[in-house]
Amino acid sequence: MKTKMLIAMLATVSVFAVAFSACTSDEGPTDADLQNAQATASAAQSALNDANARASEAEARADEAMKMADDAKMMADDAMMAMEETGGRLAQVQDRGHVICASRNDVPGYGSLDDAGRNVGFDIDLCRALAAAVIGDPEAIEIQFITAAERGPTIQSGEVDMLVRTVTWTTSRDAQWGNYAQTMFYDGQGFMVPADLGVTSAYELGGAAVCVTSGTTTELNMADFFRQNNLEYNPNVFEDTDVVLDAYESGQCDVFTNDRSQLAALRTALPNPDDHVILPETISEEPLGPVVPHGDDQWFDIVKTVMSGLIYAEAYGINSGNVGSVASGDNVKAKRLLGTEGTIGQEALGLSETFMQDVINAVGNYGEIYDRNLGPDGIDLPRENGRNALWSNAPCTDCPKGGQIYAAPLR
Amino acid sequence: MQSILNPGGIPFWRNVVFIQWAIQIVSAVVVIAIVSGFIVNVATEIHDRAIPFGFSFLDESAQIPIGESLIDHESSDSYLFGFAVAALNTVKASVFGVILATLLGIVIGVSRLSRNWILSRLALVYIETFRNIPLLIQLLFWFLIVLELPNVREGYIYFDAVYLNNSGLYLPWVSPMGGFWPWAILSFVGIVGAVYAFKYLAKREIETGQPSYPIIAGFAIFFVLTIVGLIIFSPLEIVIPERQEGPFGRLQGGARLTGSFFALLLGLVVYTSAFIAEIVRAGIQSVSRGQTEAARSLGLNTNAGLRYVIFPQAMRVIIPPLISQYLNLTKNSSLAAAIGYPDLVSVTSTMVQIAPAISLIGMVMVTYLAMSLFYSAVGNIYNRLTKYAGVG
Repeated sequence: MKTKMLIAMLATVSVFAVAFSACTSDEGPTDADLQNAQATASAAQSALNDANARASEAEARADEAMKMADDAKMMADDAMMAMEETGGRLAQVQDRGHVICASRNDVPGYGSLDDAGRNVGFDIDLCRALAAAVIGDPEAIEIQFITAAERGPTIQSGEVDMLVRTVTWTTSRDAQWGNYAQTMFYDGQGFMVPADLGVTSAYELGGAAVCVTSGTTTELNMADFFRQNNLEYNPNVFEDTDVVLDAYESGQCDVFTNDRSQLAALRTALPNPDDHVILPETISEEPLGPVVPHGDDQWFDIVKTVMSGLIYAEAYGINSGNVGSVASGDNVKAKRLLGTEGTIGQEALGLSETFMQDVINAVGNYGEIYDRNLGPDGIDLPRENGRNALWSNAPCTDCPKGGQIYAAPLR
Repeated sequence: MQSILNPGGIPFWRNVVFIQWAIQIVSAVVVIAIVSGFIVNVATEIHDRAIPFGFSFLDESAQIPIGESLIDHESSDSYLFGFAVAALNTVKASVFGVILATLLGIVIGVSRLSRNWILSRLALVYIETFRNIPLLIQLLFWFLIVLELPNVREGYIYFDAVYLNNSGLYLPWVSPMGGFWPWAILSFVGIVGAVYAFKYLAKREIETGQPSYPIIAGFAIFFVLTIVGLIIFSPLEIVIPERQEGPFGRLQGGARLTGSFFALLLGLVVYTSAFIAEIVRAGIQSVSRGQTEAARSLGLNTNAGLRYVIFPQAMRVIIPPLISQYLNLTKNSSLAAAIGYPDLVSVTSTMVQIAPAISLIGMVMVTYLAMSLFYSAVGNIYNRLTKYAGVG
């Protein structure tokens, strides 16, 4: 909504600008010399044409903005009414017939396009899981590609149903942007440098030029790290990850900082991945997960439940290959998850009893999503014994040595 | 007495005065209604969605890094200071861009009209190529070319003092020392003295016909005082870029023209100069051929004719659209974020992560508006000074 307001404000400003230019062009040359008058007239004519074109353009934009504002108002009204009766966004999404997610298409593993031009990636699969849960069709998604800096405004405005774009959960974002549903990946910020520089630790980075994407926690963590450790550095801040990679590859900057998993993914895109090393230090906590707009508790709960379902499906050994047999099997917990016995709150959420069957049939469990995108079939980030293993994946029943992927139990 | 609404018995709705007033009032009401509608809408949304808004964040420490700045900047400085640094970066790109684009535009516009066939065709190709390719693509193009230079450790070195690589061009520069201000004041006195001497001597030359060399005298006064100041106060120190210790071998000291700034400036200048060239051409063609012939018959050569006869007349046609190009160039500089130049838009897009977005974007809009109005004002003043006073 805010973006639309900004468009509207811009349109207003451009109307003023047109008015202003119209005023100033009155002060143009007052020439009585016949020959010059002709030229002046033609210049004035072209200026007038120009002004007219600009005016009509501004008008069109203003109209559009007005219409968008009206639409948005109507949608908001509808939403309010719907929320009172049936529960807001869920009804909207089901009416619309697809889920709108804000995500990305520029980082292999998280969100990119495959050879057939299809959206693939960890974040994209989470969106598909949600679509399978609320609509029953994992293809009923619309992905909006946004830059890192656009994430806040996009989710604040409520124009998308879910933001899954490697978003780090922080307290101020939770307060200002939207509700964080569930941590689906534990990341941390690291540094990548060319191997031939012989740098082995982040504390040796004094005097380096560092490339970073704008509008990210990465940029702020980097500033904190260098300031804290009294290291001089020169930041090069770019809007797009592609350009950051170009600048790093050319040696315009010596260091590329980003979440470690993304560094690993982007390293595979470099001509000689072995010529680049990711330094051992992790300078920040980056729990990544989906975000929903503020103000709709039911929708928030739905997203949390779907994410929990993905995680517990892996814990219970349910995967896309065995959903049918488990649903009619004798594992009570698994049957509860799949909706064939007991409940995990489907009714209160407004979802079908067996929505998790649709989800797992469509995208598989958490482990399958991980393996397909980030694991052996994707960018090959090791998961075993790491933070992104399941909590239950411990060497023995009581040891606290499992991973950190854990969610609200399904009951 | 007839009523003002009904002079000569015309019904008031056909009265010119009434119609003009009515149109003014209706337009004003419509504009005010639309604007206040937007403001109210934004205000309600801000309130309903609890979107943060306000300006109290401005003196808090921003903790954001800015890659290059005209004034020293630390990441712990306040938001307001960071905003000012970014705005200055935009001003820097705009001012250099405007000056260079004007010069290049004039050269190409004049070449376009040259009787030399190859020159005028080349100018045509230049204009049509660069004004028809989107600016963002041109910026990325120039930036990727800059990246093709060797990196800072393998770059070119000239005279052990000038370094050229894909991080930028590093030049020796001067930095002020203790005696800077006395020297600056002395130089300023030199400028004032030079202006007065010039005026006095020029007047004397015109009145008495005695050769008085006003220009030479003016420069002499300025240079003598400046050089004497340099010797007495030794106000400036020459700083040569030096390589830092450590694995990265970055350069420090001296002046640095960064690769991003260079690519931005090149992109803006090349793109805008194509438009300016067309404006200049139109301006010159608007002056009748008879003026050129008159200049020739007075014995002025081509250059002198252009300078003293054609340009002064063409300027009146050139200035208004030229100002529009200056405004375009300034606003186009906001594409800098794509190639890593920390302009206003780039830096504020970092700030909005932790500061209220609406307030910051409002500030950005006001800043661009202020810069645009400044250029417009300069253009209008120039216009007023040069427009024809009466009927010729």
